[in-house]
Amino acid sequence: MTNYFYVSPEQLTKDRAEFAQKGIARGRSLVASIYDKGVVMVAENPSASLNKISEVYDRLAFAGVGKYNEFDRLREAGIRWADSTGFTYSREDVDARALANYYAQHLGDMFTEGQKPLEVEILVAQLGNNLRPTKLYRVAYEGTISDEPHFAVLGGDAETIRDRFALTDGALHSLATTLQNAVAALAGPDRVLPAEDIEACILEDRGNRRTFLRLGDDQVKEFLS
Amino acid sequence: MGLPLFSAHGDPGPSFWHYAEATGLATLPGTAASDVPHATTVIAVRYQGGVVMVGDRQATGNYIASRDVRKIEPADRFTALAISGSAARGMELLKIAQLSFEHYEKMTDSALSLEGKANYLSPIVQRNNLTSPLLVLPLLAGWDQSRLAGRVFEYDGAGGCYERADFATIGSGSPFADGALRLGYREDLDREGALELGALALYEAGDNDPSTGGPDFVRNIFPMMVVVDVNGFQELPAAEVGERFRLINERRTESRGVAGGSLR
Repeated sequence: MTNYFYVSPEQLTKDRAEFAQKGIARGRSLVASIYDKGVVMVAENPSASLNKISEVYDRLAFAGVGKYNEFDRLREAGIRWADSTGFTYSREDVDARALANYYAQHLGDMFTEGQKPLEVEILVAQLGNNLRPTKLYRVAYEGTISDEPHFAVLGGDAETIRDRFALTDGALHSLATTLQNAVAALAGPDRVLPAEDIEACILEDRGNRRTFLRLGDDQVKEFLS
Repeated sequence: MGLPLFSAHGDPGPSFWHYAEATGLATLPGTAASDVPHATTVIAVRYQGGVVMVGDRQATGNYIASRDVRKIEPADRFTALAISGSAARGMELLKIAQLSFEHYEKMTDSALSLEGKANYLSPIVQRNNLTSPLLVLPLLAGWDQSRLAGRVFEYDGAGGCYERADFATIGSGSPFADGALRLGYREDLDREGALELGALALYEAGDNDPSTGGPDFVRNIFPMMVVVDVNGFQELPAAEVGERFRLINERRTESRGVAGGSLR
């Protein structure tokens, strides 16, 4: 015979949120910011091959923190969604808000109905043009979607890093300045992050259809010097 | 369309084609009438340092359907893909190839090898040609970034993929283009030599095959000429291509329509 214990929805939600937050806090954080010519995403990532940031479409990028296997599946689903939407309709019909909404629905479903909530936080970045604005959508583990006006911080230490980055964030700066500020905010006052531990990618118009660019260690070093 | 999530054992991997098949996104070959625009000549010539592609611009059904079709397109930065046969199936093949190579690159954060791209098209060509009367035959040429050489791959109707060491042609005009290439090809061709030979071969095809469009001096529409080398895919400007064909035309006028003793 199985005994059923009553757990109040408040308690269930609290437990699940705590579980997800703990999982996310184990990983390193990520800062994404709009700069004068595009969007830059900067993550603390000692691995050179297990990426947190990825190209999704011509003007769309994905970033995830938390459990790698969980956000990487979401990344792949995002690329598939974008490529098949562009294939079915037109390349200009692929929109960040639609993708961010799908992520929010999925994370929300997993939070309430899954065996366990996903221990991830997701960012969908869009470089604007005459059709759409530049956007940063942050999707939290329980499916809360937020439209971040200027910059977004993902990860366990988000509050502290957000405060540090907010101090430097006034008008739109150059890529170099924004990258320096982001790395300083990620590192904090007592640490120096080596370029090898930084994963940095941008969305910027460079005369091509595809706007995503992964910055190499040498480029990052140059921007930070 | 929802978020396309798969379990680990049902995951189609980085192949867009397999994903499209799994989800029913890809269109199934139909059984429409086969009087769709077709007929073509496209040529690929290897040279020291890359590969040249030349293609005519005419789409032909029972009459000329279009005079400015683009039959050669960049499949990605280092790959040119040309089509012959059904225009509809060919355009779809181009779209799928472009999308698939980019899809793979985004999914895995690394580009497919040139051979990988060539092999990828085999089952797509096979599936189309064995199930549909709307045949399509591609021609793939590109710069191989590991071998540092231009390479050419041609296909047969059943999807077989064959690498050619020298040159390849597709389309109804290919017997005539082939003849010119066999007379003019040398292993030590440089870029200029390959461009000149490719233009001559296409001129021959346009001159002899009614469904291959030669240079059109009335409308200023000229065949497409493409180079793929260490710098990637480059299309020659129309003015330069027009000048090449104008010279060939002048020489042919002097010798009353034939090459006149030497391949020129």
